[in-house]
Amino acid sequence: MHDFEFLRFVNIGQYLPTGSVIHRLDPRARLVAGFLLLAAITAAPRWTGLVIALVVLLAALLIARIPVGYALKGLLPPLPFIAFLAVVQILFGPRSAAVTPLWTWGPVYVSAAGLLNGALLVLRFAALILALSWLSFCISTAEIVRALDALLAPLTKIGLPTHAFVLMVQVTLRFLPLLALEAERIAKSQASRGAEWGTGRGGLLRRARQALPLLVPLFLTGLQRAENLALAMQARGYQGGKGRTTMMPLRFGSVDAAALALAAILAIVVVCV
Amino acid sequence: MHGNLQAFSAGFAYPAQTSLIEFTNVTYAYPLPNGGRIAALREISLRIEEGEYVAIVGANGSGKSTLARHLNALLVPDEGRVIVAGLDTRDQAQHATIHRTVGMVFQRPEDQIVASLVEEDVAFGAENMGLPPAEIRARVDEALAMVGMTEQRMRPPHQLSAGQQQRVALAGVLAMRPRCIVFDEATAMLDPAGRHAVRAMMADLHRAGLTIITITHFMEEALDAQRVVVLERGRVALDGSPEMVFADVSLLRTLGLDLPPAAGLAHLLRQHFPALPAGLLTVPALVKALDALPHHAGESPAAPVEPLPVAGPPLIEVRDLGHTYMLGTPLAQRSLEGVTLDIGEGAAHALLGATGSGKSTLMQHLNGLLRPQEGTVRVGEYALHDPKTDVRAVRRMVGLVFQLPETQIFEQYVGDEIAYGPRLQGLLGDSLRQRVRWAMEMVGMGFNAFKDRFTFALSGGEKRKVALASILALRPAVLLLDEPTAGLDPASHREVLAHLQKLKETGMTLVLSSHQMEDVAALTGHVTVLDAGRTVLDGRVCDVFAQGESLRALGLSTPVVTQVVEGLRACGWPLPSGLVSAAALIAVLSQYVLVNGLNGF
Repeated sequence: MHDFEFLRFVNIGQYLPTGSVIHRLDPRARLVAGFLLLAAITAAPRWTGLVIALVVLLAALLIARIPVGYALKGLLPPLPFIAFLAVVQILFGPRSAAVTPLWTWGPVYVSAAGLLNGALLVLRFAALILALSWLSFCISTAEIVRALDALLAPLTKIGLPTHAFVLMVQVTLRFLPLLALEAERIAKSQASRGAEWGTGRGGLLRRARQALPLLVPLFLTGLQRAENLALAMQARGYQGGKGRTTMMPLRFGSVDAAALALAAILAIVVVCV
Repeated sequence: MHGNLQAFSAGFAYPAQTSLIEFTNVTYAYPLPNGGRIAALREISLRIEEGEYVAIVGANGSGKSTLARHLNALLVPDEGRVIVAGLDTRDQAQHATIHRTVGMVFQRPEDQIVASLVEEDVAFGAENMGLPPAEIRARVDEALAMVGMTEQRMRPPHQLSAGQQQRVALAGVLAMRPRCIVFDEATAMLDPAGRHAVRAMMADLHRAGLTIITITHFMEEALDAQRVVVLERGRVALDGSPEMVFADVSLLRTLGLDLPPAAGLAHLLRQHFPALPAGLLTVPALVKALDALPHHAGESPAAPVEPLPVAGPPLIEVRDLGHTYMLGTPLAQRSLEGVTLDIGEGAAHALLGATGSGKSTLMQHLNGLLRPQEGTVRVGEYALHDPKTDVRAVRRMVGLVFQLPETQIFEQYVGDEIAYGPRLQGLLGDSLRQRVRWAMEMVGMGFNAFKDRFTFALSGGEKRKVALASILALRPAVLLLDEPTAGLDPASHREVLAHLQKLKETGMTLVLSSHQMEDVAALTGHVTVLDAGRTVLDGRVCDVFAQGESLRALGLSTPVVTQVVEGLRACGWPLPSGLVSAAALIAVLSQYVLVNGLNGF
């Protein structure tokens, strides 16, 4: 019954301005801290580190005044996918002569190590998704853009077009919700013409073919929007990053430094325990 | 918006003897993919003076937008030249200065906003100028105050209404402190309140000394200007005061245009009351002229003369419908609240309301795109609140034409596009052909002339008709239309209305939402007014439009006939209030106006 609300439970990318302590930090500190945590979770070799990461994330959600239930709901859509990966890992994971299988059936083979690996995979994915959602709850796209612009600025000295890159990110971020809305609108419109959305019918091939009436208009309106935007930017005097100034220069204070240091320490703990 | 405008304009000082913008024999052609070129402007010469307020009008393809893009060097002429504030637009080095001299607000509000935060977007142009941060901050704050968007400065633009987004776009231009602002169909996508706000701002900025150029399909907006330039196929066809340009109806029609609604009504009334002077363009002028005619007043009001709208037994029944988007998330948003509605078979029913009042959500409940979360919806024999109901059958019975449906065309050929729906229903061969032919004829497109045309090469009005035909090809019993005439030029607008009228006469039930009160008055018999997801007014079209006061409070307006009646009643004429059609108005006026000492015809 909510077949057309494509983004209802996808909460990565959803900014929630609660005005918490975390939201008031310099965006560069938030962005770097988030990436440190993400890197640590990806690299953490043992389950103790991942459990610590989950605890840290829960605390971070509470401090950021995000409803924990809503954050956890974000785990639901990718759950079947993660479960599938975990089962593959358990059944077909690497085997060695040193471990004794708990259960075998033809090529299928379950060992204690395999089970542990499967559990690690689930934990890791859950922590990654939570960390990504936390980051997007706490930092708006506008702030990401400003932070990236400031962080990448030194690279312009070696001739990289960082400003153009940041603008590209900015426009993409700004147009994603518009494209999602557009996709919803087109899907609804084609459904009114008899396409089988929201009726839960049709095989894989049929579904693929149905995508055409969705993708062609989406692509065309996307192009049209891009052209309109380019024109509007040109009309407002945009000529690349050269000679451009910014309204809000960022300030990195001692609180930001402390928060960043704390995130770095936590990241090291997650990897090393 | 007021207050600081004087201070804003005081900073400028420039020589007055030269024109601000000067076109000399400008010719421009768009290159085609096959190497050819298609002419858009032909030898246009035009001068726009500092402080003028100019409206540019013309049918689709007349070259309005191309002309607009030459005003600030977004396009450069192939031949001839454009001088802006003394600078030749062919000189690339001057473009930065030209862009900040002549700012531009575009048609689609959401496409011209760059940043994901209102105030950062307003700062974009000023940042491009390389100003110091404190100066940018000051200009942004000032511009936001001028458009009345200071409170929304920290919000993401996609959460604003179209009218608010358009004000943000205007603020972004104002922060660059231009001498001239071009509005390129900037009101086309707005509801009456949004349109009114943008028009008021144009007038304020003009009073503050800025040059305003507006490009529009709405003739009543051209009346706001001091000067109207009419384009036809790339040439200036007329150039003069609104009084002069709107004097000749038949000439306007041949140029693909129309009179402003009030002037159109005055023109019609003059045929019955020849004593009315010519050149009445606005409702107040028309009311004043009518009141000056010899008439007798003080009698008891005549009985309402509007014909009773057609409506059979109830076909659509909505009871206590409630809907929340993003239910169960922190972003949950209540969209409908206790809506109750009946639509009879064969009726034409309008849904009115400002942007975001829930009209689209309600419509989507009527063909099963949304299922009721609360309350019930019954369409014919189908109960949509029953999860077992087959929504495909409902969608077949109820066709929905979305806003700007031409953006959803995906086939290469017109015939295939229209055949998409019936094909999915299983129609083949000759019966499919017959169905497509019928649908095309219903929108006035010849089957043989159009079926093999490329969809992308059609004009805006033709695309709209293809999109309409592609729904009609499903042979729905009910047709839902979301803003069916939005963004069309006057000629296409008239044509689409005529086709809808024809569909109504075939007995099809029509439900439409529109910001065009004249369309609603011409087409529908019943009206439901929504505000913040609730029904606030509901009834026959004449009864609802009689409540001008409440409608205006909701950000809506009334058709010109109703406005004239309201004006005359205020002058003491004992007219019945429930009038919406020109025919009824003429019939009633004939009872009061004295022609040669006798009552009218």
